Amino acid sequence: MATLINLSSTQLLSFHSSTSFHPRNTPTLSLNLHPNSSSNLRPISIKPYHHSRKPHTWLVTMAVKNLGETESVTVSPESDGPAGELPPEAGVYAVYDKDGELQFIGLSRNIAATISAHRKSVPELCGSVKVGVVDEPDREALTQAWKSWMEEYIKITGKVPPGNESGNATWIKQQPKKKPDLRLTPGRHVQLTVSLEELVDKLVKENKVVAFIKGSRTAPLCGFSQKVIGILEKEGVDYESVDVLDEDYNYGLRETVKKYSNWPTFPQIFLNGELVGGCDILTSMHEKGEVAGLFKK
Amino acid sequence: MGVSKEQVESSLNSKLNPSHLEVIDISGGCGASFSVEIVSEQFEGKRLLERHRMVNAALEEEMKEIHALSVKKAVTPEQWKKQQESNQSNPAA
Repeated sequence: MATLINLSSTQLLSFHSSTSFHPRNTPTLSLNLHPNSSSNLRPISIKPYHHSRKPHTWLVTMAVKNLGETESVTVSPESDGPAGELPPEAGVYAVYDKDGELQFIGLSRNIAATISAHRKSVPELCGSVKVGVVDEPDREALTQAWKSWMEEYIKITGKVPPGNESGNATWIKQQPKKKPDLRLTPGRHVQLTVSLEELVDKLVKENKVVAFIKGSRTAPLCGFSQKVIGILEKEGVDYESVDVLDEDYNYGLRETVKKYSNWPTFPQIFLNGELVGGCDILTSMHEKGEVAGLFKK
Repeated sequence: MGVSKEQVESSLNSKLNPSHLEVIDISGGCGASFSVEIVSEQFEGKRLLERHRMVNAALEEEMKEIHALSVKKAVTPEQWKKQQESNQSNPAA
């Protein structure tokens, strides 16, 4: 074992005799960073107060009152309006329903605006709110404040607020993320160990819906590809896209896919490993209302 | 360069024996792109993809010169009849 001295973390070092590793040698004393104790030591490893540090960084969590001590504000169109009691500032907030049950603890850069949005999207769950404005609202301070309220709630009730449970999307509207286009190769100058055809085969069989298009899914470069993407998006089909014009990461793909599918043009839409068709076919299926049924099964 | 509408029609006529065929040159006369409406008994029992493949295969030679071929319709005579009827009864659709 090597002797390790890291000056910046000297307070985390502990002494260990490593005799067991050198039974025949004279016992040596070495300094080791103890991996398990570092987290335990952290709370007591607070450095002596440096004058160069601004004091407020230490007072961050104290800027927010405990959840229990905070007074609640009834949510109404007036309360989050410009003259309301809710501040248009950054901080932590807790939403209670009309029966006084805590529903969600959230963070916001503009509490009044966020509450207003909640009140509009889930009015039945917004009875009152508690608000803790965080001064100097950097990311860490906000997270700290949120954590302290969450911990306080969990300590008392033994559970996470329903809106904060993982998978609950009532309060956090997730923007539908656009998937990135898939790349078949790591780059055109990298020698492939399997043929491109095999990669195509694997790709269309492992993904339910794959669209080979010209251009990216966010910016299709051909009208037919655009039309197909439009149909898939409109029908809410979960699909993967591959840009056949990407000469860096999909070099040679156009010819390979044409040969693979025995279909002369792009776009090409695959479902469960089989070509469904191109723009004409998808368009006519769309007109007959068959797309959702077929692709979402 | 390019293919004439007549060439496309004659190839499709000889290979797919359509009961209705409409070929439109949508390239503006240079013979680079066509749209096709075709009704043939040979499409019976075939998926849309296979029908398009048949059209593509029938135009294999022409496809070398054609930039874009849009198969607007590839239906069986029976489907065609139904579509014509529904179009008449519901002209707005």
